[in-house]
Amino acid sequence: MPALSLNNQNLPYPDPLHPIVVHFVIAMVLFSFVCDVLGYFTRNVRLFEVSFWNMFVASAAIFIAVILGQFEAGLANIYPAVQPTLNFHTLMGWSLAAIVVGITAWRFVIRKRTPRKVPPAYLGAATFLVWLVCLQVYLGSKLVWVYGLHIEPVVQAMKQGVSP
Amino acid sequence: MNWQLIDQLRLRLNANGLPYEIPIHPQLVHLTLGLFILAIVFDIAGALFALEKPIFKFLGLPILRSGFFDVGWYNLIGAAFITFFTVAAGFFELLLANPPIDQKSVWGLTAGWTMLLHGLGGVLLLGAIAAMTVWRGLQRYRWRKDASRQVQWSYLLAGIAILGILFVHGTLGAQLGEEFGIHVTAAKLLQEGKNPNLLPK
Repeated sequence: MPALSLNNQNLPYPDPLHPIVVHFVIAMVLFSFVCDVLGYFTRNVRLFEVSFWNMFVASAAIFIAVILGQFEAGLANIYPAVQPTLNFHTLMGWSLAAIVVGITAWRFVIRKRTPRKVPPAYLGAATFLVWLVCLQVYLGSKLVWVYGLHIEPVVQAMKQGVSP
Repeated sequence: MNWQLIDQLRLRLNANGLPYEIPIHPQLVHLTLGLFILAIVFDIAGALFALEKPIFKFLGLPILRSGFFDVGWYNLIGAAFITFFTVAAGFFELLLANPPIDQKSVWGLTAGWTMLLHGLGGVLLLGAIAAMTVWRGLQRYRWRKDASRQVQWSYLLAGIAILGILFVHGTLGAQLGEEFGIHVTAAKLLQEGKNPNLLPK
């Protein structure tokens, strides 16, 4: 098998792609929720359309995010302290893929049946989703900013044998 | 930064150089980028509506042209609002940065230049996003209120140009974290000769 040529961050391309693709999951899920809540209280029905399309994009992006995440996790230097956080982040990632798509499907049905209304039950589910996304962002941020996965000084130190 | 000045602030700084565990700026960046990029993309989709209409029809997904423009407008407002916080957090964390000075990025820039350009770029982009929001609002509520295409072609071109600047700007920001290891706890520990495996799990 031909070896991938990896850069100083242990990646076959200049920057990690997973943290870029997750913009379109994080921002879209959170903003969709903001639009639904504002739409619910102000009765501005345009916001419901905005909410739907943001969830639609989140659903499409999350699969790319999970696949790239697995790929980049596979190329990362996982030292023992990292493992529990990475496992939790991975499990949450796959679960969120299913949950985001499920909630988007529900949002789609609402848009079709009652485009001028959003039921409180949906807002409850979306609140739960927002909470899960925030937790997932925390875990992912910890992998990068605390443990330094794919961060050059850390990757280089590990290569030189500073193996914890 | 001048460390005596920083000491005067009496912030309790962690190993990562910040008074908290995870940098805030990169979290807000998710929102700025996601919202702004989508605002421009949906306005483009609205402008080229005739092209994608058959695709969505094939998918069985009902679409409304005005709905695409609503996404373009509200996502842009969201982006403009959050970006004030993104830039503010960015400056706070930039001031507390303590990068290696003997190293150059893949773009051949020192950490100092990368920080300077990323800081200036942040202010420039905040201004550009705010200006785009005003421009977009005028098109929506005044100039093109009754037009089927709510956005001017010049607006879309300006949007695409800003996406280009965002790409360069974002890459500079990524280099600050990924290459210089700024505010990365494990990188700082290694620099001090400590083992990052002692970090709490």
